[in-house]
Amino acid sequence: MNIKIIARVLGLLLLVEGVAMLLAFAIALGYKEYDQQAFLFSSGMNVVLGSCLVFFTRNARRDIGKREGYIIVTSVWIVFSVFGSMPYVLSGAIPNFSDAFFETMSGFSTTGSSVLSNIESLPHGILFWRSMTQWLGGMGIIVLSLAILPVFGIGGMQLFMAEVPGPTPDRISPRIRQTAKTLWGIYMIFTVAEMLLLWLAGMDLFDAICHAFTTMSSGGFSTRQASIAYWSSPAIHYIIIVFMFFAGTNFTLSWLALRGSFSRFFHDEEFKYYGFFVLLFTGLIFIGLMLSSYVGIEPAFRDALFQVVSVMTTTGFTTVDYLTWSPVLVALLFGLFFFGGSAGSTGGSIKIMRIVLLLKNSYHELRRMIHPQAVIPVKFNKQSVDVKIITNVLAFFMFYFAIFGASTIVFTLIEPDFESAMGAVATSLGNIGPGLGTVGPAENFMHINALGKWFLSFLMLLGRLELFTVLVLFSPSFWRE
Amino acid sequence: MKVVIAGAGEVGTHLARMLSNEDHDIVLLDDSPEKLSIISGDVDLMPVTGSAHSFQDLKQTGLAKADLFIAVTPFEERNVLACAMASYLGVGRTIARINNSEYLMPRYREKLSNMGIHELIYPESLAAKEIVASVKQTGTRQLIEFSNGKLLLLGIKVRENAPILNKTFEELALENEHFLVVAINREGKTIIPNGHDVMMNGDVVFFISTRNEQQRIFELTAKTTFEVKNIMFLGGSRIAQKSIEKLGDQYRIKVVEEDVERCQLIAEKYENALVINGDCRDLKLLRDEGLEKMDAVIATTGNSETNILGCHLAKSLGVRRTVAEVENLAFMSLAENMNIGSIVNKKLIAASYIYRFTLNAAISKVKCLTASEAEVFEFIAKDETKITQKPIKNLDFPSEAKIGGIIRGEDAYVAHGDTQIIAGDKVVVFTLPSGIRKLEKFFK
Repeated sequence: MNIKIIARVLGLLLLVEGVAMLLAFAIALGYKEYDQQAFLFSSGMNVVLGSCLVFFTRNARRDIGKREGYIIVTSVWIVFSVFGSMPYVLSGAIPNFSDAFFETMSGFSTTGSSVLSNIESLPHGILFWRSMTQWLGGMGIIVLSLAILPVFGIGGMQLFMAEVPGPTPDRISPRIRQTAKTLWGIYMIFTVAEMLLLWLAGMDLFDAICHAFTTMSSGGFSTRQASIAYWSSPAIHYIIIVFMFFAGTNFTLSWLALRGSFSRFFHDEEFKYYGFFVLLFTGLIFIGLMLSSYVGIEPAFRDALFQVVSVMTTTGFTTVDYLTWSPVLVALLFGLFFFGGSAGSTGGSIKIMRIVLLLKNSYHELRRMIHPQAVIPVKFNKQSVDVKIITNVLAFFMFYFAIFGASTIVFTLIEPDFESAMGAVATSLGNIGPGLGTVGPAENFMHINALGKWFLSFLMLLGRLELFTVLVLFSPSFWRE
Repeated sequence: MKVVIAGAGEVGTHLARMLSNEDHDIVLLDDSPEKLSIISGDVDLMPVTGSAHSFQDLKQTGLAKADLFIAVTPFEERNVLACAMASYLGVGRTIARINNSEYLMPRYREKLSNMGIHELIYPESLAAKEIVASVKQTGTRQLIEFSNGKLLLLGIKVRENAPILNKTFEELALENEHFLVVAINREGKTIIPNGHDVMMNGDVVFFISTRNEQQRIFELTAKTTFEVKNIMFLGGSRIAQKSIEKLGDQYRIKVVEEDVERCQLIAEKYENALVINGDCRDLKLLRDEGLEKMDAVIATTGNSETNILGCHLAKSLGVRRTVAEVENLAFMSLAENMNIGSIVNKKLIAASYIYRFTLNAAISKVKCLTASEAEVFEFIAKDETKITQKPIKNLDFPSEAKIGGIIRGEDAYVAHGDTQIIAGDKVVVFTLPSGIRKLEKFFK
């Protein structure tokens, strides 16, 4: 195990976080609020510690193997959350460290669950930092660092694959660094476009920036306690729906579309299923809402679509408290907690590609019952999928539900209400945001005790790194030489 | 530079790994996803699954924007076709791996070039050339000739009886100005020596010299040269066949080969070779065929382990010259320490041959030093380049590299600190891989 290179990479990344905090510091300066010192101090701490680590490991061997890759990626997300929570604690916005860590992990993992009950009272710097954590975490800390730091070399690939596991990773360009740059480029373009549109639609500039950050990362932090429901403008709702949808689309497809080849977009099987699921669930919920005499056709459609896209892409914005809907609609929406965006998007949870592969494989299993000798390959995008990938997806699925089940049971000890416990676990593991019961869209996570918050934070990390990267650290063979 | 490589076989993956580490953008095309997933696990490249001779798949690799296309699938006709197609799709330059010396003939070169096949590489033939060189030049591990032998590179293993042992290179340089030590291989590591380093027992030392002075080097290293007459080939692979062809009639050659059909073929093709059908690991057979009476044993079965053991056996029976084909890169340094004479590796040979096309400077020759990391380049010094500005000692030349000699017109010189390089010279430079990029500056 090459401990030195692990420390070195962590040091470098701390520097990146330190610089990001300076941006929030600039906002705090601009608004002349009380959080200036907190940001300056947190940023200084990052820079000093990061520089020390980089300086003392300058003679580290440059090879980053698979093991180092997994350790670096998992620990980076933890270290980022620890240091990222400093501004909250130091400024007094969230004085308790457990709460602040929960809020920050919820930020970086793009979950969007919050402990805050009076968001509007917070200074702008803190609000900006809160949105910023989601924006950085959305495309991935490692992917960002690969794009901006020239120091990773070959090891960068191990890190990239540990952070972006995906069932079938696709490469945009021969160099991992170039791939990372391209991904961040598209991410930037979408973010700026959304910001401008929201601004034009009547949001003020600060809110537009923050919401663009948290939409494109499929995060879901809002600068308003009421989330998107604060704005009644249909235009704003539709803009956010469109960009949530893009955030949940494979960025490689968006890149191809931006370069002018739209045909791939509409021939991509995952994209078709993604669109189909959105329409299906929107339709069902829309009909449900109409039957329960909801106010007006357009608002019913808009609310249905917004909630479906928001939950499916694991963003977690809300325009309405869906817990007030009839139970069957809540159940439908809860089902969507386990879908997630496309592979290669910023969306979390299980992801459409895995679900489609599983459905196809299971269906073929039926055909194999009748034709035991038949050779029936699972096909995706007209290519047969390797058995290894199917096995990997099955293992992912198994782990996902085992963790969901076990965690729900454990969590009922902390949160006695079963429905709330189930909602909290599902929303954390899927990086969504709002849950059910006492952690629903109109509530927050403040009332859960410290142990519960650490537990949920861990689930968020598990979900964000798609289980395997974190779980592998718990297998004995990982540590055996 | 963007390079597309078709074929994830041994040569293809080796090239991909080497070029990717040098910061080139690599796209690797192969029809087997398994092969691609193994290499893409630890090399930064873009794998593309597809056929090398499908327009659709070639387009997928982004050929139109690539500078170099290298076709190294196992099939010659596929490589040639792929290169022609790649040229049509707009790649800058193409290299095809071939198995047929007919294509190398000058009169067909233009036709091939018109088809869009710019360069050809025939790894077996290159390996055979090295084998023949080492048979003809006894006493050395490796011999590379520059400009038709005007300048020579001799790789020699120094043993305890050598008079120059334990002398610093500074002393050596003062006493002998007609040769220069450019690199040493010591315990699997390659060193570009400075004046204070000392030659030690067991080093493989690379000398640069002229033909007239090589005898002096043999004296100093206590090596005696001898005439090779009887040669035994273990294994009748393509490299062996190519070597027999190049060796010509003045040798007595025996070939031991397991496969009956291949035996037939070799016996029909090469009149001067006696072909024995049998297992190369059968000690009794080898003794019956007079292994210990051989002047040289060349092991070129497809199996690296058999080759290493065969040469080891031959050495222990007193055969003075052995050459082993070792294709497994991990075995190279092990084999080097086992005292089995020269080693050839067709992957490395092919890779360094192709390597020159990825550099921007004008290069007329690239060779790798076997079983070491160093490479030898023959650069052409152009007008206005940095290298022609000052004498060598004032150049601030990178410490990983060393100028061995220069060839000016018909004459060759061993380089000294005061040597001034002028435009038009061919400059022979030795370098570790880390120095290659730095060298480019001097010659561009």
